[in-house]
Amino acid sequence: MISMRNVSKTYVADKPALSDVNVEIGQGEFVFLVGHSGSGKSTFIKLLLREILPTTGQIIVAGQDLVRMKSWKVPYLRRNIGCVFQDFKLLPNKTAYENVAFALEVIGRSRHVIRTQVPEVLRLVGLEDKMHSYPDELSGGEQQRVSIARAFVNRPPLLLADEPTGNLDPATSLGIMSLLSRINKTGTTVLVATHDREMVDSLRRRVIALENGRIIRDQDRGVYGDGD
Amino acid sequence: MAINVGYFVKESLVSFRRNWVMSLGAVITIYLSLLLVGVSVGSSMIAGQIVKSVEQKVSIRIFLKDGAAPEDVSKLQADLQGDSRVKTVKYTSKEEAMEEFKKSYSSSPEMVEQLNVNPFPASLDVETHKPQDVPALAETIKGNATFLKVCDNPTDPERSIRWGKEWVNRLFSFTRILRMVGVLFIIMLAVISLIFINNTIRLAIYARRKEIGIMRLVGASNWFIRMPFLLEGLLQSLVGAVLALASLAAFQIFAMPRIEEAVPFLPFALPPGAAVQIAVILIVGGSIIGLAGSGFALRRYLKV
Repeated sequence: MISMRNVSKTYVADKPALSDVNVEIGQGEFVFLVGHSGSGKSTFIKLLLREILPTTGQIIVAGQDLVRMKSWKVPYLRRNIGCVFQDFKLLPNKTAYENVAFALEVIGRSRHVIRTQVPEVLRLVGLEDKMHSYPDELSGGEQQRVSIARAFVNRPPLLLADEPTGNLDPATSLGIMSLLSRINKTGTTVLVATHDREMVDSLRRRVIALENGRIIRDQDRGVYGDGD
Repeated sequence: MAINVGYFVKESLVSFRRNWVMSLGAVITIYLSLLLVGVSVGSSMIAGQIVKSVEQKVSIRIFLKDGAAPEDVSKLQADLQGDSRVKTVKYTSKEEAMEEFKKSYSSSPEMVEQLNVNPFPASLDVETHKPQDVPALAETIKGNATFLKVCDNPTDPERSIRWGKEWVNRLFSFTRILRMVGVLFIIMLAVISLIFINNTIRLAIYARRKEIGIMRLVGASNWFIRMPFLLEGLLQSLVGAVLALASLAAFQIFAMPRIEEAVPFLPFALPPGAAVQIAVILIVGGSIIGLAGSGFALRRYLKV
């Protein structure tokens, strides 16, 4: 699903954000990407979304070469990647339903598809009762569920989550993580960038650890690690 | 696609309402610039009509000396008649010239009474098929031996021959200046309109930056993201164009008949079909300004 070969990204000379990263992530995997802030996690995610291009190296996501990709094709790549962020990125003037529907509307899905898929995905994340609430009427955990629903409504093969529990308390975080696990069980590849030690340690999934732009550890059924 | 069209129109209307002060500014500048475009295009069309009608009146008048031999005069007349460029040659005697003068000054008879002798020379009026031939034909006449014999000012034959050269040239240079000033104004106003639209679209982009971010995230195509802003710019300029057209139409209906009345000797009217032409120019020009203005803004402020 994701393949990075010798990928480096340099914003300022002599201080590479990522250097010589090699990663293979197969379809259906659940992977934690851990590291301090500044370790290169965000650059990693941005490269996968092709918000930026690597300075050197090759990136393949869902069978597509991101370096060679024409820029007008990028939107179609992103339709295959669901995205969840720390700050939810919900529109405050739209209800939970409308926020999820918006994602389908702007890629040209028909009204019929929207009417059937949006309630379904909101049920999946456990928000069928709060479909018509606005974001400021929802708790942080519920807002994150809406954003996960939006990321998943189009059934993308890959889901990226950048610090999805960064703003949430531990109990709520656990709920979000189990939701991401459930999504993973449907066959979707899930990549979670986080520095939530407890979460990583309790779930025992594959862990890729970044430090100063390098991969220092890539371990199946790993933990957050002592030195990290 | 049917939903999309509705979506775009809705979005651009919402944005128009949200930023209505800036939108109004953009609409007014476009209105003014298109109004000037319309006025200058219309007036240059009218000026063209006037120049044409004046050109048609351009003819050559040859003044003859008193007592010129009638056979020389008829010879000159025959020479002229033989020239392929000449349409008609008309002889006006001294008496007829006097009559003409009396007629045109009939409102002040005391001036006519002052003349106890007839000071007017006899003349030949030469009309050409094409007004453009007048200058060349005048040159030819100046070289004609018979003309030199009968002209009323043998020492300076140049002065015995008159044609509306100065008149036509002056009119031409006047309309040229008018047109240049008009073009300058139009360019200035077009630039100002572009800046205004650019600004309103920038504000619209800023107001919706969150939505745009999400649209990019979920994979809305670049054109889908741009379309509402392009439509908004287009909408602003089309409103401006329609207002300008309405103003011009009002002027044509209410003011033009008065002007025509005031200057009956000039064909002060739009040529047929001009109204449609002006409407097309304004609508197309307005659309180009609107699309270009929002296009610039999109390129500068919206990275997709």
